[in-house]
Amino acid sequence: MTAETQTRLDPVRLEVMWNRLISVVNEQATALMRTSFTSIVREAGDLSAGVFDAQGNMIAQAVTGTPGHINSMATCIHHFLAVYPPEELRPGDVLITNDPQKTSGHLHDFTVITPVFRGDTLVGYFGNTCHVLDIGGIGLSTDARSVYEEGLYIPITKLYDRGEPNRELLKILAANVRAPEPVLGDIHAQAAGNDVGAARLLEFMTEFGLETLDDLSAEIIGRSERAMRAAIAALPDGVYENEVYSDGYEEPIRLHVTLTKRDDELHVDWAGSSPESKRGINVVLNYTHAYTTYALKCALAPEVPNNEGSFRPVTVTAPPRSILNALPPAPVSARHIIGHFLPGAIFGALAKVIPDRVMAEGAANIWNLQFTGYDKSDRPFTYVWFSCGGTGARPTKDGLHATAFPSGIAGVPAEVIEQLSPVVVHAREIRADSGGPGRFRGGCGQTLKLAVRTRRPFTFSALFDRLHHPAAGYAGGGQGAAAEITLSTGERIERKGARELPPDTVITLHLPGGGGFYDPLTRDPALVLEDVRNGIVSVERARDSYGVILTADGLAVDEAATRAERAARAERAATPA
Amino acid sequence: MLVEGEMESAQTAREQAPIRIGIDIGGTFTDFLLVDSLTGQTTIGKTLTTPDDPARAVRTGLEQLLRAAERQPSEVGQIVHGTTLVTNALIERKGAKTALLTTRGFRDAVEIGREHRYDLYDLFLELPKPLVPRYLRFELNERILADGSVLTPLDADEVAALARRLVDDGIEAVAVCLLHSYQNPEHERQVGAILEEVAPSLVVSLSSDVVPEIREYERASTTIANVYVRPIVARYLDRVITGLSDLGVPGTLFIMLSSGGLCTTDTATRYPIRLVESGPAAGALAAAHFGRLTGRSSLLSFDMGGTTAKCCLIDKGQPSISAEFEVSRVYRFKKGSGLPVRVPTIELIEIGAGGGSIARVDALGLLKVGPDSAGADPGPACYGRGGTEPTVTDADLLLGYLDPEFFLGGQLRLDVEAARAAIARLGERLGMDEIATAWGIHHVVNEQMASAARIHAIEQGKDPRAYSVFAFGGAGPVHAFRVAEILRSPEVIVPLGAGVASTAGFLVAPLAFDFVRTYVGRLDELDWDQAAARFAEMEAEGQSILGEAGVPADAVRIQRTAELRYVGQGHQVTVPVPDTLEKSSAARELTERFEAEYRRLYGRIAPGNPVEAVSWRVVTSAPAPQLRFTIGAAPAVAATVADARKGERPIYLPERNGFETVPVYDRYALAPGMSFSGPAVVEERESTVIVGPGATVEIDSLLNLIIRFQR
Repeated sequence: MTAETQTRLDPVRLEVMWNRLISVVNEQATALMRTSFTSIVREAGDLSAGVFDAQGNMIAQAVTGTPGHINSMATCIHHFLAVYPPEELRPGDVLITNDPQKTSGHLHDFTVITPVFRGDTLVGYFGNTCHVLDIGGIGLSTDARSVYEEGLYIPITKLYDRGEPNRELLKILAANVRAPEPVLGDIHAQAAGNDVGAARLLEFMTEFGLETLDDLSAEIIGRSERAMRAAIAALPDGVYENEVYSDGYEEPIRLHVTLTKRDDELHVDWAGSSPESKRGINVVLNYTHAYTTYALKCALAPEVPNNEGSFRPVTVTAPPRSILNALPPAPVSARHIIGHFLPGAIFGALAKVIPDRVMAEGAANIWNLQFTGYDKSDRPFTYVWFSCGGTGARPTKDGLHATAFPSGIAGVPAEVIEQLSPVVVHAREIRADSGGPGRFRGGCGQTLKLAVRTRRPFTFSALFDRLHHPAAGYAGGGQGAAAEITLSTGERIERKGARELPPDTVITLHLPGGGGFYDPLTRDPALVLEDVRNGIVSVERARDSYGVILTADGLAVDEAATRAERAARAERAATPA
Repeated sequence: MLVEGEMESAQTAREQAPIRIGIDIGGTFTDFLLVDSLTGQTTIGKTLTTPDDPARAVRTGLEQLLRAAERQPSEVGQIVHGTTLVTNALIERKGAKTALLTTRGFRDAVEIGREHRYDLYDLFLELPKPLVPRYLRFELNERILADGSVLTPLDADEVAALARRLVDDGIEAVAVCLLHSYQNPEHERQVGAILEEVAPSLVVSLSSDVVPEIREYERASTTIANVYVRPIVARYLDRVITGLSDLGVPGTLFIMLSSGGLCTTDTATRYPIRLVESGPAAGALAAAHFGRLTGRSSLLSFDMGGTTAKCCLIDKGQPSISAEFEVSRVYRFKKGSGLPVRVPTIELIEIGAGGGSIARVDALGLLKVGPDSAGADPGPACYGRGGTEPTVTDADLLLGYLDPEFFLGGQLRLDVEAARAAIARLGERLGMDEIATAWGIHHVVNEQMASAARIHAIEQGKDPRAYSVFAFGGAGPVHAFRVAEILRSPEVIVPLGAGVASTAGFLVAPLAFDFVRTYVGRLDELDWDQAAARFAEMEAEGQSILGEAGVPADAVRIQRTAELRYVGQGHQVTVPVPDTLEKSSAARELTERFEAEYRRLYGRIAPGNPVEAVSWRVVTSAPAPQLRFTIGAAPAVAATVADARKGERPIYLPERNGFETVPVYDRYALAPGMSFSGPAVVEERESTVIVGPGATVEIDSLLNLIIRFQR
């Protein structure tokens, strides 16, 4: 860097310009969310938006979205540039793909990249990734046996060529999806969002007299990288391993992580994890990378801005054809189920060195619940939404009930679900005793009771996990409750995927709770009492897990009995059996 | 006290009692503004807030004010009041012991919320605790479906038994929020009737009454917040009314709503949640009012005080209104960390940037300002009260923007050396000298405010460059010039008495009330009789409330709007609805209006996609008072601009890369028609106006400074 740029980018000017750049991407994301046709995008915030320099380095991202999209968008742009080298791009070009390998891991996500020209010079790119309503094929499901069954695949191609829409592509798209208007509407919204960002970026460059973004980008990325390296360097050198399990499709999936920390770099290797699954729960490396870097940032450097610089000191590998580096034609549609387990696996490894900065295991994946059938007037319907279990406890705080982690999405109100579909939500309540016991209790899952107003059998397709592998507690904390799905017919659902159910079936879903943190016998009895009064913890659980005895009316802690109970337990624990 | 001004529409009734008084209870001070609606004469009053019994400060302050103005209590025709009581009760969790009655299976809707983390990277984040703990949330066996039909009838005996139990448990207030009550309120009304009969001591709010809108979490959260503060607000207003009558004030007391309208004390007592932002609303209204007087209908109101800055867009003379607000945030400036309340609120953005905001260096070596604030105690380093952290005020002082001898008119002497030391320490860490650091602080905080204002405008589909900046609040006029420069605004307007201008908002607000009904359906399938019935219901309610307040029926203004969207979308666009809906053309007409507005907001439409209505709104209002007045003391008007110059001092100008000595004008000596060029300083007691180079300043007929950029 020249002396001149040094002075031009003093800490004040840099702060001002950086701030301005973030407001540009927020504008891009705002435009996108407000014009989207997909409830997952706007209600749940399932999107990402960012700006890249001329070399394709992500400089800034919008303050919204979900890690699977944000971090994979940061890496995907290089794939675009390999197909369409910068020198071949022209003003008015817009690129698109839903290639799972190269973007965010399944066909439902479209990534749209728009190069920005200042005069004839390419100065940067805007990109965004959005979940579309439908992509044909078997739908968002674990059931496919190959990616070909999962829907239409658009390789990296032009959505616009010098301002002219690629009508052939749009024709093919419209013919292959179940809801062409909203899908095409969203893709146009994606392109329009990038245009908004580009226009503002050019104004910004004019105002600050910038010919290129190079110096600014180098400074932003450089500072972020140095901060991330400093955060890594603060960890002791060493190798930290952990292993967690998901229920998988037909058999449990093992996720094995090895973190190797040396100086100011971290290498994360997923060798030892299960091989590819036959069903659509496989994860591509790009998505593995996204959730790996996300978890590390949360634990090590939450304050460092998320951009190319914060990724550089971290490398991520997984053996080809393993569940975390699936290759075509492996099916990948429900990749988030496994992807959402990765932060928990990483935190478990880090808990060995920095237990005070991680969260115990939580429910992990969001649950997609999809209903398809005919309403009472015999009109066809399909409706899908997300629901969440509890998060893990933190070393200083309880976990959160029914809250998405690591995903950044939001739920949908029952009244909205019922307004848009014949589904009836009979209950949506906090699931008592599902939070793992600990000095800090895991967040509770929720219980949903669902039915459909229909005269005909309907299809229920659910993506879930933790029926058999509950969330682990850390440092002596207990595990969260496992999930459970029962039907009013008396059956239990054990396997992921779609099934047909008789019209008046009531489905009861018990979503999993998060793990606890530290020994539950050290929890403040007053907090246990509060949980009991609130029906979050039962009197039995208070006694059995926490060693807290309440008075007969249940309104106070029996201090003496509690002290005696806890002392007796401590003694038993100290005496080898 | 000053003169300029006239009353445009004098009414005989007002001649007996021409005095209107605005009262704003803030955290530290209770502010008063008295206006004689016949002469336009004003008097300002200020007294310390009495948090244990805020009505006490209102009473003593009023007495002092009337004495200072040499007026009799009997001359007071109208008092308009705004208060932070509701906000504070929610933040401090000092409301009534409240229970929730809800549909079986849904008592946790208020705790599960949106299942969302408002910060993606913070593993330690906290969600706001519901105002009603789980053990006081009760479920009823009843169920209404989305179309309003009854699946399970209400069990009256169950409700009655529960009501008795609530009384026994010492519950004071009850929120009732049943599923789909926005569509069919029958069950909630039955519950209300049973509670009234069995447990008349309970204060009850029904969600279908408070906010008949879809989304059970937001509706319940709003209803709970409303009933939670009802007893406090009722007690308080009662004391204020008693105090007024003890003083012998005959006039009517009106309360400022968050939406900028006024309501009667009776309405305020039933729907206190609608007062939640009444103070800030007044500031925006004041800006709108002064804008109208100066013939400007588009303004960016910019109010910068000690801890926060507030921005609000004003279009066609009206601030825009948002349907949702957050209370009781875990982090004051973090969107999403509070409890949602659905109340019409003047759409303003609040930023953690004020005179007391602290500057620091972050982990990346960048200069950051706020949102932490040194507050009033210890305050900025230059206050000399033990503060050592560098603040915006310290930077402003070092840059010459503030006169250490004339802060608050000389009431507080500022310590330049303390400011210099605090800033120099920060500068060392940045590798910058103290002046570069001070300018950095000033510049960064301006950028933050401009950024927030810009995004705020864009979210409403507006171009911030089209707006004049209207600056007030203690620090507003110090920063407005540079903020406007960043936003590329055409001009900055600073009223006389900028430091206390927001109280004027209380006196210019119309009596108004808002209503909303949810009635969802595609425009081409809608039953227009149903829509008309809802409008008629809301309008009748509004007419009746205004009638009780003495507004003649023919003076009531009715605005109808609909919230529309494309089927499948989640964000609504608000569209005005014509007075009469012809069944044959209503769908087409609303679709056209929707598409026109949609195109304005997003630059394109999605033709062919069906449009649906989500909710229907009515605002009923009385005419706004036509007042002309300016706030402040009578100026010792100078004969020429040169005479208004009270001195000169060096101020920092980045264009000059250093200090330049510029003239200092006495705000009170400037007369209408005078003009001069920047750079310059204009001082009044509660604030200082900084004008940079490349701008001209003109004093208009109402003594506003009009600062125009010469670009």
